[in-house]
Amino acid sequence: MISVSHLTRTFGSLRALDDISFEVAKGEVVGFLGPNGAGKTTAMRVLTGYLPASAGTVRVAGFDVLRESLEVRRRIGYLPESVPLYREHRVVEMLEFQARLHAIPRKERARRIDEVLEQVGLTDRRRSLVGDLSRGLRQRAGLAVALLPQPEVLILDEPTSGLDPMQRLEVRGLIQDLRSRHTVLLSSHILPEIEAVCPRVIIVHKGRIAADGTPAELVAKLAGASHVRLEAVVGADVAAAARMLRSIAGVRDVVDRGRVGIHHQFELTCDEDLREDVGAIAAARGWALRELSWHRPTLEQIFTRIATGASDEFAPMSKPIANTPATSAANLGGTIALGGIALHVAQPSTPSMPSMPAGKSTPSTPTVPSKPARVVYNLNPFDRGATRSLSTPKAVEDPTAPSANDPGAGSSGVGDR
Amino acid sequence: MRGVLAITRRELAGLFVGPLAWALLFIAVLLQGWLFVLYLKTSGGDVDLALRWTLGESWVFWALLILVPPLLTMRMISEESRTGILEFLLTAPVSDAAVVTGKFVAAVTFLALLWSTAFLYGLAVASLGVAPDWGALFGGWLGAVLCSALFCAVGLCASAVTSTPIVAAFGAIVVNLVFVTAPLLSELSDQLWVRRAVARVDVIDHHKAAFLNGVLDTSYGVFFAAWTAFFVFLAVRAVEARRWR
Repeated sequence: MISVSHLTRTFGSLRALDDISFEVAKGEVVGFLGPNGAGKTTAMRVLTGYLPASAGTVRVAGFDVLRESLEVRRRIGYLPESVPLYREHRVVEMLEFQARLHAIPRKERARRIDEVLEQVGLTDRRRSLVGDLSRGLRQRAGLAVALLPQPEVLILDEPTSGLDPMQRLEVRGLIQDLRSRHTVLLSSHILPEIEAVCPRVIIVHKGRIAADGTPAELVAKLAGASHVRLEAVVGADVAAAARMLRSIAGVRDVVDRGRVGIHHQFELTCDEDLREDVGAIAAARGWALRELSWHRPTLEQIFTRIATGASDEFAPMSKPIANTPATSAANLGGTIALGGIALHVAQPSTPSMPSMPAGKSTPSTPTVPSKPARVVYNLNPFDRGATRSLSTPKAVEDPTAPSANDPGAGSSGVGDR
Repeated sequence: MRGVLAITRRELAGLFVGPLAWALLFIAVLLQGWLFVLYLKTSGGDVDLALRWTLGESWVFWALLILVPPLLTMRMISEESRTGILEFLLTAPVSDAAVVTGKFVAAVTFLALLWSTAFLYGLAVASLGVAPDWGALFGGWLGAVLCSALFCAVGLCASAVTSTPIVAAFGAIVVNLVFVTAPLLSELSDQLWVRRAVARVDVIDHHKAAFLNGVLDTSYGVFFAAWTAFFVFLAVRAVEARRWR
């Protein structure tokens, strides 16, 4: 759908794009990632035909961007970063203008306009002046304008810049909806953004392509392995503890990071999430835990390394992954975390059970696995007998789990009435 | 030239939702009406002479022509390049020439509307019993529109070259002044080539000699068309050049 080969663009002596080549297949969603001034916008402008390339060829939908510019423009929906819309016009007028520019037949016009307004959720603001819309709504209006002619290729330059987190989520959702119908190329300098939306990422740095692949691939290729961090009181024989951790299948290396207060910190290099196993060992040995977390290199770190041209040595992470549920040490007190969440899920649906005993002093109510457990670990060193199977799904996601052990259950919500 | 109509419609709509167009119309019509009454008085009731003054014989007409088109066109390209809308237009499936032409047609349409107020005066005096020379009136109007077209093209060209509307307006006014004051040059010199050169740019004379008398002479039409096309062409080139910067 998009084919770029040896694209170079210079502004005077500045090489904004330096010999860039890539292909985007039909239906792909590709994220352009790079710091400000990396050449993302320039690349997009060349793709849309706004800027001519200094060297190299760009083809969109089989048409040369320079020679068959109008054919290309007919097939591209482009939303520049500044969201250029006439502020003095109403949303629907702007869409009508776009329809006329694209020569959409009069009969289809009204229907298409209704469709895209519905699609971006602006139906109730169709009569609003563009200048009166908030930044987020204007972004949606811009998207509606770009979508109106049903372009094969959608090029979005920083579609989420300048938006607050809620609006950003909305726009992200919109883009996710578009995936099936269009080939999408979008740019951003915000990593989670791109990670969430794009199955493929092209990292641009100083006008060159620094990396190209899925986020997972990039993480694996560029940043090395993930690691589990353990902070626990392991007793006097630290070396023995390290040896024991090293013996877990899948652990490639154990680094002793020294004492932190009474706790000792280890970093276990591994390819997957080994918290369960480490936790089990800790429980079995009776180590008092302070932290048990899994750290995966994020695109951000890879990106920082590329951008700053840091050494190849893999720097350990400092930030745990936020979107993995029930990470860190909370896993150990599994029943407590479980209770807190299960309460929210279960209570509204069970108003008829107000007098359920809020067994404040029975912290050990287990999440009983329905299937026979394959491997059973004791998860809580202070509470012998609490067991959980590793083969069952994450207990936190089980809405039927008992909530009786939550200390707040008796005093909150419907429970009292 | 697909898309010219779409651009023109958008441009006119944009003009009339903003205050600038209305302000210009208001000032021009007020001034013209007031002056028309004055002309009628000073000419001793000669309707044709008064209309002649309104549409080209007086310096007020030329002053309006020097000032209004640049004010109208100054924002058309320069401001859009600044707000980024030009990027939208130049990636829409219409050619650069269509974008510039659409804007040009919109500006000329607006000025044609402005000058057509002269017909109102014609109707007014006709209803009072003195029929004006309709042919001369129409010729004068057409000449005024052609002059406006030329000055709009100059204004668009200036707007395409800079990114600041005020600079564009100033540049266009200077060029317009050169056009209008060129005849004064020939009074400074007796040289034949100076006179010939001046005749090539003498807008006032071309307007007065033919159109104002109700004569539709194609050679005079070509004079305006050629100069207008030249400046529109320059404007298109200037817009294209923006891509290379």
